Amino acid sequence: MASADAVVAHGAALPDAGWLTALLCLPAMGPRRLGALLDGRSPAEAWAAVCSGRPLAEVAAVVGGRVGALTGEWARAARDIDPELVWSATLNAGLEVIAHGDDAYPRCLLDDPEPAPVLFAVGRVDAVAVPSRVAVVGTRRCTRYGRDVATELGGALAAAGVAVVSGLALGIDGAAHAGALAAGGAPPIGVVATGLDVVYPAANRRLWNRVAEAGVLLTEAPLGTGPRAWRFPSRNRIIAGLADVVVVVESHATGGSLYTVEAALERDRPVLAVPGPIHSPASQGTNHLLAEGCPPLCRIDDVLTALGLVGSAPLPPDRRPSPGEPDRRVLEAAGWSPTTLDALARRVDLPPVDLASSVARLVRSGWFDEERGFYQRVR
Amino acid sequence: MLASVHAATLLGVRGHPVRVEVHVDNGLPTFNVVGLPDASCKEARDRVRAALVSSGLAWPSRRITVNLAPTGVPKAGAVLDLPMAVGLLVACGEVEPASIEDIAFLGELGLDGSVRPIPGALPLVDAIEASIVVVAPGNADEARLVTPIVVRPIPDLRTLVLALRGEEPWPEAGTSIVESVAFDEPDLVDVRGQRMARFALEVSAAGAHHILLIGPPGAGKSMLARRLPGLLPDLTGEQALEVSRIRSAAGEALPTGGLFRRPPWRSPHHGASAAALVGGGSAAMRPGEISLAHGGVLFLDELGEFAPKVLDALRQPLEDGTVQISRVAGSADYPARVLLVAAMNPCPCGGSGAPGGCRCPEHVRLKYLRRVSGPLLDRFDLRIEVDRPEPVELLGDRAGERSSAVAERVAAARERARARGVTANVELDATALTAAAPLSPEATRLLEATLHAGRLSARGLHRIRTVALTIADLTGRDGPIGPDLVDTALSLRIDPFRPAGHGIR
Repeated sequence: MASADAVVAHGAALPDAGWLTALLCLPAMGPRRLGALLDGRSPAEAWAAVCSGRPLAEVAAVVGGRVGALTGEWARAARDIDPELVWSATLNAGLEVIAHGDDAYPRCLLDDPEPAPVLFAVGRVDAVAVPSRVAVVGTRRCTRYGRDVATELGGALAAAGVAVVSGLALGIDGAAHAGALAAGGAPPIGVVATGLDVVYPAANRRLWNRVAEAGVLLTEAPLGTGPRAWRFPSRNRIIAGLADVVVVVESHATGGSLYTVEAALERDRPVLAVPGPIHSPASQGTNHLLAEGCPPLCRIDDVLTALGLVGSAPLPPDRRPSPGEPDRRVLEAAGWSPTTLDALARRVDLPPVDLASSVARLVRSGWFDEERGFYQRVR
Repeated sequence: MLASVHAATLLGVRGHPVRVEVHVDNGLPTFNVVGLPDASCKEARDRVRAALVSSGLAWPSRRITVNLAPTGVPKAGAVLDLPMAVGLLVACGEVEPASIEDIAFLGELGLDGSVRPIPGALPLVDAIEASIVVVAPGNADEARLVTPIVVRPIPDLRTLVLALRGEEPWPEAGTSIVESVAFDEPDLVDVRGQRMARFALEVSAAGAHHILLIGPPGAGKSMLARRLPGLLPDLTGEQALEVSRIRSAAGEALPTGGLFRRPPWRSPHHGASAAALVGGGSAAMRPGEISLAHGGVLFLDELGEFAPKVLDALRQPLEDGTVQISRVAGSADYPARVLLVAAMNPCPCGGSGAPGGCRCPEHVRLKYLRRVSGPLLDRFDLRIEVDRPEPVELLGDRAGERSSAVAERVAAARERARARGVTANVELDATALTAAAPLSPEATRLLEATLHAGRLSARGLHRIRTVALTIADLTGRDGPIGPDLVDTALSLRIDPFRPAGHGIR
């Protein structure tokens, strides 16, 4: 008790954002719990209340019977956290800390039902202020088709001056940002679920750095926060809140991107779903959205129309050599779903050597993408 | 008082000549065996004693010493029971020393005096230093494969003594009483659909290229693999002898009246230890699965489930075609030239492995695949994705080609390889390959582009060229290797490690 009071007295000079940062460092501290803690308290008072270890009525209202264990855990964790040290480390790392109500705080998040009390940012914070933003989200386990659509969407949006908002995950998210970066134009906005010093997934490190350079990386998690399962759906509400339109490119029947859709609908953001083959597990979630009445994205321009912008520039001309025979037949037989050599052999009646060499030619000339023995058409 | 008998012992897959020396002297009645006997050799004392007594022969209550020379070679198994008993009979004066001068004895004794067959008769008889050999009737056929040795099958000790004394003639050499199980090779005609997989199998058999089949459970990977031995040509005379010797040493009965003429098939379970796979393990240094599959097919099902250490132990034998096992007791070389066929699932969940088609997160899938090390993966010239056949194909009555038709093409391709001085194309080195199969200018350009794209290593390049040559042999094409053959070889060598989402640049 006495020590908690001492901390308050000693750290009185710390700004509210500093206390909030310390509070966010506590284990399992989500936006609702933090909101409950801050109910009728200043952030500094909330910290003192946590240090006291008393079960708090406002928290109990959110978490129910587990409040005793949770506040106990917080109090234990708080003993190892020095708010001043955390605050100076955050500033020294070059992070921009934007508290709810600051001028730099994204205006679209001000009236959010669950606004982030603090956002940590690196890069061009003003990127959030571009006139329109579109979230491009989808599964990490995507097909070549999904990746192509995401890349194309990202490029078209960025070229039209629309900022692409995404989660920097493997698969669709990364592809959308890669497309946006390649096109130039509007700065990309990456909203991640880890601390800004923890690159996750590590495979996207290069993309992560490029987004931070060309645009902005935002997170709710303080420095040093590793990937936690609950943080990803929580992060998705920020993506939905930032976007004017949410596009789901590919989603499995139960996918994280469906959380983004839910959050978008809660916030009255229009959602577009990209139709996919009915056999493709990676499109089950999106096709289901369509069945439920979600408008489809049938052409890249659809999203620009939804934003009230005119169509994008035409696609660059196809430089690939047009396939001869029998390559054209093989290409047509492949359809747009991942296909094996055996399946192709069933569909086109060619001797094995002719089929196998035709497939290799199509891969080399860029018509096919080969992934572990599965061939997918490239648009 | 002293006797010396010809015999042999098995070390690994090779026989070594042994002299069994028996000395009977006055003193306290004891029976000692010296000269590196293993446990079953030492137990011979009790068997020999009981066998002699049961056969109505006298047991000398004197000091008996048995020496197994040369003393440096470890002796294993019960094969020395019979020579010890004969030595005792000679040392006690029951049998004349002159009557056993040029005869070797190999056999295990039963307590009733019967002579029992022993494993490894072929390599054992091969090693003896006498012109006549006495074996159990069950070993007679196998022993007869070694010419010009005279084989005398003997059912029991009593008959042997009478024959050695000249009181009765040697028993007639009857036929083998051991039934050998004929291995029925399954036929490719049972495989429905799978056109590319069948083709890859044919290429594998023609060029002796190791093949990796990746596919979901139920795709028919094992079914395909089982049909590979049926595509291979018969073993040559020398190979047949070698294969028979190894399998005889492992205790397998040889086919009735002959050698193993068909390539062997071995499929060890994925729980196998490194010693079980490459050999060794005990002082007797048993041959491992890779040697038992010598000249034939070694099938590793569920490759990802084998311990990584065990798989890596296979790398050197696969490269060299022999295994050298070194133990404290000595070392031995086993032939181990196999055609390796492996099968694995594309991911731990058992899904199809199609991009976007399974529930496994990328890192879980990669972790599963990485149990197979890169260098081992590199040994597979052919790596294909096997798909589940469609119901129409399973139920349709359009049967595939018979194994015999495919085997004919394989034999013709092997014939072309023999003209290059090798049994199969896989044995060609870089110089021989360039001489046998120069690349057409277009094929050279194509390979250069693939190398520049980083999709091929130097070793991979050699393998691709070899596979292209095998395909040319199969399709009966002559002249320089064209781009379509190189392309086909490239298509038959997928990279399962390639992470998804690599398209992001």
